Amino acid sequence: MEGEELRFPKPRRIVLYTLLVVLVFAFLLPLWTAVTTSFKSAQDIIYTVPVEPPLSPTIEPLLTAFSLMQGPLLNSLIFTVVAMILSCLLGSINGYVLTKIKFRGANTIFLLLTIGIFIPYQAVLVPLVLTISRLGLYNNIFGLILTHTTYGITITSLLFRNFYGLIPDSLIMAAKTDGAGTWTIYRRIILPLSLLEFVVAGVLQFTSIWNDFLFGVVLARGSEALPASVQLANLKGTTEVAWNIQMAGTLWYALPVLIIYLVLGKYLIRGYMAGAIKG
Amino acid sequence: MVSITIRNLTKKYGNTTAVKDLNLQIKDKEFFVFLGPSGCGKTTTLFAIAGLVEADAGEIWIGDDLVTSAEQGIHKPPQEREISMVFQDYAIYPHMTVFDNIAFPLQIRKTDKNETQERVRKTAELLSITQLLDRKPKQLSGGQRQRVALGRAMVRRPKVFLMDEPLANLDAKLRVQTRTELKKLQLELGVTTVYVTHDQVEAMTMADRIMVQRDGIAEQIGTPDELYNHPSNLFVAGFIGSPEMNFIDCSLIEEKGKLSLDTKEFSIPLPNETSSELRNYTGMELIMGIRPEDIYESKFAEESKKEYAVRVTLDLIEPVGPFLLLHLRAGRIPLVATVKDTRVKAGQQVIMEIDPSKIHIFDKKTTKAIV
Repeated sequence: MEGEELRFPKPRRIVLYTLLVVLVFAFLLPLWTAVTTSFKSAQDIIYTVPVEPPLSPTIEPLLTAFSLMQGPLLNSLIFTVVAMILSCLLGSINGYVLTKIKFRGANTIFLLLTIGIFIPYQAVLVPLVLTISRLGLYNNIFGLILTHTTYGITITSLLFRNFYGLIPDSLIMAAKTDGAGTWTIYRRIILPLSLLEFVVAGVLQFTSIWNDFLFGVVLARGSEALPASVQLANLKGTTEVAWNIQMAGTLWYALPVLIIYLVLGKYLIRGYMAGAIKG
Repeated sequence: MVSITIRNLTKKYGNTTAVKDLNLQIKDKEFFVFLGPSGCGKTTTLFAIAGLVEADAGEIWIGDDLVTSAEQGIHKPPQEREISMVFQDYAIYPHMTVFDNIAFPLQIRKTDKNETQERVRKTAELLSITQLLDRKPKQLSGGQRQRVALGRAMVRRPKVFLMDEPLANLDAKLRVQTRTELKKLQLELGVTTVYVTHDQVEAMTMADRIMVQRDGIAEQIGTPDELYNHPSNLFVAGFIGSPEMNFIDCSLIEEKGKLSLDTKEFSIPLPNETSSELRNYTGMELIMGIRPEDIYESKFAEESKKEYAVRVTLDLIEPVGPFLLLHLRAGRIPLVATVKDTRVKAGQQVIMEIDPSKIHIFDKKTTKAIV
């Protein structure tokens, strides 16, 4: 033990840690800038460099940004959560059907679903807007829910299919001989066994839907369904640039994702590991 | 009365035929074993009875209930057949406690809560796992998991138990112990049981009757005694019994009206009573089968004293415990014999007697048993 304490770290270690500290600063710098700027008055922004702390801190920009963002934040929260839940549930059902119920053409269907992942958003914009308007869902939160759910199913199906591939078939056969039908097996066996996978797929879906800008900007114009990501871009103003309001808006916008990672991080890692250990 | 009747059952996977035109009648309360090497179609047959695979042709009846008929397009799903099943990997639901695992089949059928509790408790008592009811499967040993799987199968009081190598994942000692318990339990409950295994000792010790399967075909159906003493072909003769039966190429020769089997190294005269049926096979290529326990060390030092004695060289002695395994050589023909004791040492010559009444004779071409 004594030898251990007295030993000077190896040169490679020193280089490594120095590099890591530099990188930590590099990564934290934008966040730090956003935080400092959010607490600055318009005057402070002129008198100070962005990374400097405010001369006279104020929460005014945060309050202003919140009043501008609260409607869109609520919109985003609603369609993100609903689309996340729907796409995860449907993806999970898809994964169950594709792995545990053998039927003709299952692989073809899976292939088609997977192709969906590789279709770029931009390629579907025109037909998407046309379809959504025909359905009367333009500028409507349901239009966003429908779009994000549909787009999410591809990736969630893939995730759940791979996860369910690890659940032994004998478990399903046992449930069948125990008397359970297809739906009961899903509800009583598959669903409870895939809670961690729901966290993994859910966090992925939440982040990607929450951060989406393109669908939001083309599917919602007015204020009723405007997503936070679009409103954030609008904060930059037309005549003058209010850096402090923008930065404060960014903080508000980043908050939900941050909270999700803080709360679910533990389960997220366990979910990732579940596949790794079994496979 | 729950018998199982299988008529002309065929199941194909792509180009391979897993089960081919199988006909079988399993009697009420019978402990019936499907025995065979892996890939012989035994599990597929079991799954077809369970309704887990669809048949390509044929019928399956459970009691008076036609559960499968490829011709009439009938395929009842497993939950509509009154069967329960034990799987090789136990297939215990990992997220449920032992209680919930055993109660699952009852909960699915919306059985009354009090009755469920009562039946789970009784089942657990029968299997001595009452103290485990609150545990999760992760906290159980292999043997305990196996009991939970059994409990889950029993709690519903099904008409038929189907078991797919339920002892294969247990260690050797526990397997022997559980084997006995399982057999006792089956006798006590009196439920028709179909049991799949590749272990011939398991099959011989537990079964009322056995079907030996190979490449999707039933090679022989019979009691353990019939299979052991009257195997109907080379495959069954070789598969049943450990150490394996000795097989020696030979031909039938007739001298002065007496028949004997000639192996090039030695010849064994056949008893008169078997002679008449055999006469047609004179000159044909045959295989003589003799079980290791039917070769004994002769009391006589001279082979001439007995006409069915053979002079052999003892290559190796393997002490197995209850008996000695002798690896012998008669000229170029290797033989294995089991004896209680021997005076001879490895490398020495010894006179062995082959019991002529215990000889099995097979047609080399058809592999079918002749006597």
